[in-house]
Amino acid sequence: MSISMALFSPPISSPHQNSNLIPKISLSLLSTKRLSLVSLTRASSDNGTSTPASATVSATTVEAPKPVAVEEVPVKSPSENGAVGGEETDLTTTTTEIKFQDAKWVNGTWDLKQFEKEGKTDWDSVIVAEAKRRKWLEDNPETTSNDEPVLFDTSIIPWWAWMKRYHLPEAELLNGRAAMVGFFMAYFVDSLTGVGLVDQMGNFFCKTLLFVAVAGVLFIRKNEDLDKLKGLIEETTLYDKQWQAAWKEPESSSSSTVSSKK
Amino acid sequence: MASFTLKSFTGLRQSSPDQTSFVSNVPSSLSLPQRRTSLRVTASRASPNLANRKLRVAVIGGGPAGGAAAETLAQGGIETILIERKMDNCKPCGGAIPLCMVGEFNLPLDIIDRRVTKMKMISPSNIAVDIGRTLKEHEYIGMVRREVLDQYLRERAEKSGATVINGLFLKIDLPENWDTPYVLHYTEYDGKTGATGQKKTMEVDAVIGADGANSRVAKSIGAGDYDYAIAFQERIRIPDDKMTYYEDLAEMYVGDDVSPDFYGWVFPKCDHVAVGTGTVTHKGDIKKFQLATRNRAKDKILGGKIIRVEAHPIPEHPRPRRLSKRVALVGDAAGYVTKCSGEGIYFAAKSGRMCAEAIVEGSQNGKKMIDESDLRKYLEKWDKTYLPTYRVLDVLQKVFYRSNPAREAFVEMCGDEYVQKMTFDSYLYKRVAPGSPLEDLKLAVNTIGSVFRANALRREIEKLNV
Repeated sequence: MSISMALFSPPISSPHQNSNLIPKISLSLLSTKRLSLVSLTRASSDNGTSTPASATVSATTVEAPKPVAVEEVPVKSPSENGAVGGEETDLTTTTTEIKFQDAKWVNGTWDLKQFEKEGKTDWDSVIVAEAKRRKWLEDNPETTSNDEPVLFDTSIIPWWAWMKRYHLPEAELLNGRAAMVGFFMAYFVDSLTGVGLVDQMGNFFCKTLLFVAVAGVLFIRKNEDLDKLKGLIEETTLYDKQWQAAWKEPESSSSSTVSSKK
Repeated sequence: MASFTLKSFTGLRQSSPDQTSFVSNVPSSLSLPQRRTSLRVTASRASPNLANRKLRVAVIGGGPAGGAAAETLAQGGIETILIERKMDNCKPCGGAIPLCMVGEFNLPLDIIDRRVTKMKMISPSNIAVDIGRTLKEHEYIGMVRREVLDQYLRERAEKSGATVINGLFLKIDLPENWDTPYVLHYTEYDGKTGATGQKKTMEVDAVIGADGANSRVAKSIGAGDYDYAIAFQERIRIPDDKMTYYEDLAEMYVGDDVSPDFYGWVFPKCDHVAVGTGTVTHKGDIKKFQLATRNRAKDKILGGKIIRVEAHPIPEHPRPRRLSKRVALVGDAAGYVTKCSGEGIYFAAKSGRMCAEAIVEGSQNGKKMIDESDLRKYLEKWDKTYLPTYRVLDVLQKVFYRSNPAREAFVEMCGDEYVQKMTFDSYLYKRVAPGSPLEDLKLAVNTIGSVFRANALRREIEKLNV
């Protein structure tokens, strides 16, 4: 057992980009008991947040508890254009994958009754649970299955729950920033020009400054946002430019459209 | 939207082709114009009649674009030569054609192996959405085998009077004057496989380059490069009971594991499924993405045998120059593949046909010599008809394929009936149909809601990472 744990811990603590290797490695797993160990080590390595998943994993097993006939899929390198024909390679015939398991995840959706707090559904915990599930799947992509389809739709969580959790704190932050910037700009302009707040509002230039300040606070929240915005503008017009290239005269003077007719 | 685009193009054109009075001066006395920003285009109504011969046009490439172009040219009374390097070529391809193609090109129904009427979109967190409820009885996406479709279109071109040559195009000698012919260099195989073939040359008046993503014709005229995606596909024969699930259903998987900027797919073919994925930005990781796609579909393709592995480039946008004098590019060679869905067959065939129609009209059924202005008419018509479609798909790709939250929102949106109706209408009939404004507003609100929720969950995930 300890050997198997040693075998499996390195791949699990590897960074998330290598998560695609995990399914391949798990293809060569040899028993389901090791899987439950593996999931436990993963659960315990989750930094501090207690996952409800860990409690139930050891108790349940994944789909096919039969012993695996290991057939690695040799991936033949393809040619660039065209096909490598003829080779028949078998895909593995049994599944021994780590799957997402949770007591509250029933039949492909969250069982809202289990999220009740004081008689009402605690939407915050539903949101957190779904986030955990998505994080799990990002790190361990799973096969879809017709027997257990995922049916959860985030729109069952009411809009005010989303607002309360995400929009309002951010709105408070941004409004706070705008208020601070506004106050100091008003003070600064007043001290420089002697124009009071009410008179400032009547001035066109000051109104523009106000608009710029509000827009700046809204759109530039991190340092990276500046570059992102510049890239965005270029991105939106790139495709159009590529299409219109056929209608522009080419820059080089060896243009055949101009010099052909002699 | 269409009239807006038209305005921007006519602004660049200096003269309208119909009312020119340059008549006798066309070939000889045009002095080199000073540097203008507009293109100088003159009419060819004043071109002289070809003395006792028909216009000769070569179509390089015998796929859907080449076949459609050759057929239309031959029907228009033009001497057409179609050069194809591999008559039984099994082009790696998704093989999906929209309903309108069957009608517009009079395709026989037995060419279509399968009619897909249901699609499943699967998000990164495996939320699956069924699409196709809004399809009517007679509507479907046709799945074809490329070797069958291409062969059929070539045969039709031959029956209309085109000469089909099995040969490999090598290069073109560009002419010095505006009306001297192009000299094509090609290797003719004469039907013998394995033989090295004979080098031959041919003189033609115009060339249509329909030779695909790695077009040699495009290189010969200096058309410029484009960004391209690599599409990688494995054909897998799965057991019959699993095949019934894919009887008329195609799947699309989105997610960072499957592709950072495209999607993975499982498309049913005649007796097997094609599982594949593609990418533009991370071409080196394509095998990893393919493994991930197979993993996501694993339950449904369990016990399958890989019978073929294939890959091919897909252009992402048109080449900077799609025509040069009397050489025009069509299909993949021009880069007419849509974003977001990667659809190319219909646009290839349609552009081949449109270009051929422009040549037939400009030469008045083969009697006159053509020049660049006639081919520009094809570009104009093409851009006017299809640029809105391309633009919309580009926006969709930019908005919804950029990250996992965006993809989750995309899949959620696809569950909406109005979205499905609009999507299928525009895909099957190739028209960007205006919906009802109220529904559009609701759709906009729902989109913003979905994107907001998905991004909120992403922020939650990041909080968990900390």
